Amino acid sequence: MTATIDEDRLSETFAALANSTRRAILARLAEGGATVNELAEPFEMTLPAISKHIKVLERAGLVVRGQRAQYRPCALDPAPLEEVSAWAERYRPVWEARFDRMDDYLKQLQATKAGKGND
Amino acid sequence: MIDKGSADAVEIERIVDAPAALVWQMWTDPEHFKAWYGPDGATIPVAKMDVRVGGTRLVCMEVQTPNGPMRMWFTGEYREVVENERLIYTESISDENGHVPAPSDMGMPEGHPTTTEVRVELRDIGGRTKMVMTHVGIPHDSPGAAGWAMALGKLTAYIAAYSDR
Repeated sequence: MTATIDEDRLSETFAALANSTRRAILARLAEGGATVNELAEPFEMTLPAISKHIKVLERAGLVVRGQRAQYRPCALDPAPLEEVSAWAERYRPVWEARFDRMDDYLKQLQATKAGKGND
Repeated sequence: MIDKGSADAVEIERIVDAPAALVWQMWTDPEHFKAWYGPDGATIPVAKMDVRVGGTRLVCMEVQTPNGPMRMWFTGEYREVVENERLIYTESISDENGHVPAPSDMGMPEGHPTTTEVRVELRDIGGRTKMVMTHVGIPHDSPGAAGWAMALGKLTAYIAAYSDR
C-alpha cells in the first residue's frame, strides 16, 4: 500500500470523528443511505442540530448527499476513513524495521557471549 | 488493504531466535532497548524506564536533519508488567520533562486521543520466542474509547467490504 496521507485532511477526519453523535450517524450510514429525518430518529435532538453534525461530516468528506431528490438522502463516503486506517498501517514498516534490527543485535550479542564462553 | 483487527491497530508476530528472558531485556533494559528501537538513521540518546505497573518511561529519539539534529520525546506509563511474558505501556508525544501537551496545543480537537498503547506478549517455544506486538491507536481505558472502538469496528467492516468491490 502506498497511499500518501494528507495531514490536514486527516486532522479534519479525526475532528469529525471526535464526537459521539457523529460517530453514531456514520455507524448508521454504514448500514445504508438515509434521510436527515431518518438519521435524527434515534437522537433526542432537533433537526437543525442533526443537520449541523451532518454538515461537519460533509465538509470532512465522510458524507455525500444526493443532489436530485428533494430530501437529499445521505450516504457514507469511506475514502477519508481509509486514510485513518492508513495512518495506523504507517506504523507497521517502522516496527518491522525495528524488529529486524533487534534480530541483528541479538545475533551479535549471542555471538559475543558464545565467544566468551569458549575462552 | 485492511488487516485483521481494528483500523487503529498494528499487530506484528515474530519468532525471535533468543530465549524469552533475553527478548524481555530488549524491551526493558535501556541499554539493550537503545540498540534496536530507533528507526533508520535515528539514535536513542535517552531511555528512562521504571518498569513496574504505574512506573513511567521517557524516551528520546534523535534524527539528523539538514538543519542539525532534531530531538523528539515520548513518555508513557507501564500498565502491565509480567516478567518474560507480557508488557503493556502507553506512549504520548511529550517534552523532555515528560509533559504531554493538550490535544488543542497540537491543533487537534478536545477529546482527541493522543495516547497510543504498545502491548508485547512473549512465549517461549523451545529456546526461541514467539513475540506478538500490538500497537493500538486508542487505549481501551482512555476517555470515549468504547465509542471509538464501536464506531471504528463497524466502519472497518464497511471499508473492507467497500475495498473488495
